[in-house]
Amino acid sequence: MEQALVAEAKEAPRTADLAFDRLYRSSRDDVYAYVASLLRDAPAAEEVTAAAFERAYRKRNRFDPERGEPRAWLFGIARNAALDELRRRGRQAELTAEPADLDSLGAEQAAERSERRLAVSAALERLALGERELIALKFFAGLENREIARVLGISESNAGTKLHRAMTKLREACDGNA
Amino acid sequence: METPRDEKLAADLRALRPAPRPEFATELDERAAAGFPRRSRWRWTPFERLRAVQPRRLLIPAGGVAVIAIAVTTAVVAISSGGGGSSLDLSMGRSDSAAKPAHKRHPARYSAGATTLPVAPAAASAGAASEAEVEVKPFSREIKPQVHNRAVERNAELVLGADPADVADDSAKVFEAVHAHAGIVMRSSTREGEPGVAGARFELLVPSAKLGDTLAALSQIDEVRSRHEATDDITAPTVQTGELLQDSKARIDSLLAQLEGAETESEREAVEDELAAERRHRSRLRAQLQHLERRADYSRVLVRIETGASHDSSSGGTWGIDDAMGDAGHILAVAAAVAVVALAILGPIAIVALLAWLTHRAWVRRERRRILS
Repeated sequence: MEQALVAEAKEAPRTADLAFDRLYRSSRDDVYAYVASLLRDAPAAEEVTAAAFERAYRKRNRFDPERGEPRAWLFGIARNAALDELRRRGRQAELTAEPADLDSLGAEQAAERSERRLAVSAALERLALGERELIALKFFAGLENREIARVLGISESNAGTKLHRAMTKLREACDGNA
Repeated sequence: METPRDEKLAADLRALRPAPRPEFATELDERAAAGFPRRSRWRWTPFERLRAVQPRRLLIPAGGVAVIAIAVTTAVVAISSGGGGSSLDLSMGRSDSAAKPAHKRHPARYSAGATTLPVAPAAASAGAASEAEVEVKPFSREIKPQVHNRAVERNAELVLGADPADVADDSAKVFEAVHAHAGIVMRSSTREGEPGVAGARFELLVPSAKLGDTLAALSQIDEVRSRHEATDDITAPTVQTGELLQDSKARIDSLLAQLEGAETESEREAVEDELAAERRHRSRLRAQLQHLERRADYSRVLVRIETGASHDSSSGGTWGIDDAMGDAGHILAVAAAVAVVALAILGPIAIVALLAWLTHRAWVRRERRRILS
């Protein structure tokens, strides 16, 4: 799929539109999840997500496939938009993420999972923004280490190392909560 | 290698993944389908709008604006400068405009205001003659032969273009204009005949204080083909002659005193000879001073009335290839000068803007890194 997007981006503007449409459909929820985890403010996340897609759409003809994958390019735009929003506000809003749907689980099992996820959520809250961003890119947006490296402007091995440290910290924080 | 505990943590993280509201997702899908039309509430600053435009799309209007600006400025400069001395004569020499008086065809040039005109070297003049182009106030009362007690001699030459049938009338008008301004017609000659043969020539003396008015009146008689003015500062010889005259007068007074005190006939004869010589010398000095003062008080004006094609037109009266080449060269030179000036102005502005943009970009990046840290 990535190769198809890259190939299509090289084609005529009409093809670029189709490629962007495909990129949008495959990344909409991922971008929102990533932005929401950075901003911790659902209305602001919606606004920034829309702004990021709008910017990406305006710049779609300037995308250079040789400089990286389309998803990494899109998340780079979303990252800048989210950081600019944080810069404008000068503060970080409270996390307003919706709790996971636990209704489908059994009562005892759901209670156990709910408790564990609350601990993970609380641990995630205590991480630094940069560490939380890495985890969001990996588990919320579903990016590969190669793509994360491209978004952050670091090497793939460095991205892997940083992600590992962030996960270790998160695990320790979870253990501390438990 | 991930442990089951890591897998469980990863699963918990994925379960915590924020999901967009269905209403927002629907709205965004609609906007995506519509090609993301702009919405003001989404904080698009003018700078962001500009950045969103492709550089290629900016290049064409920017280039167009630059070309239009250069063309307009070139036209303004070319019109306001009148094309310089040689071009002024060339344009005046075109046959298609010969019938109308110059002041009617070029009101901007022949009304109030300064005009740069070529100045011919003053003939047989003492002192420093100005041969470069000077800015004068033509045809106004502001021409003063002696500014701040300086003696300045002025000469002018005016060439009028006329139809052969109008030469006699124009000549009469020249006399009228000269007499109306207390001038003197020193010499005149009029010749009738075919175009190019018919014409007139006048050598005038005009009070320098009325030179501007006289030239203005003369230039209204017919088409002005060319006009030259020369100035010659004769202050130094005037002052020097005046001082010599004073010395001579003092010498005569002294000799008269000696004459009164002379006791012998031979002594008296010697003083009288010396006195006579000194008086002749004083007469010469007085005549010389009067001549200098007359040169300052009266300006020499040469008026020629020509018929047929202008002598300045190299193509025999019709506007031809040479004229076109000359005009094109002039316009190109002006355009190049305007472009250089524009570059000199816009270059530093562009450098400052580039530095400001780079500084802003670096600052934004630093702020983003600061937020993450």
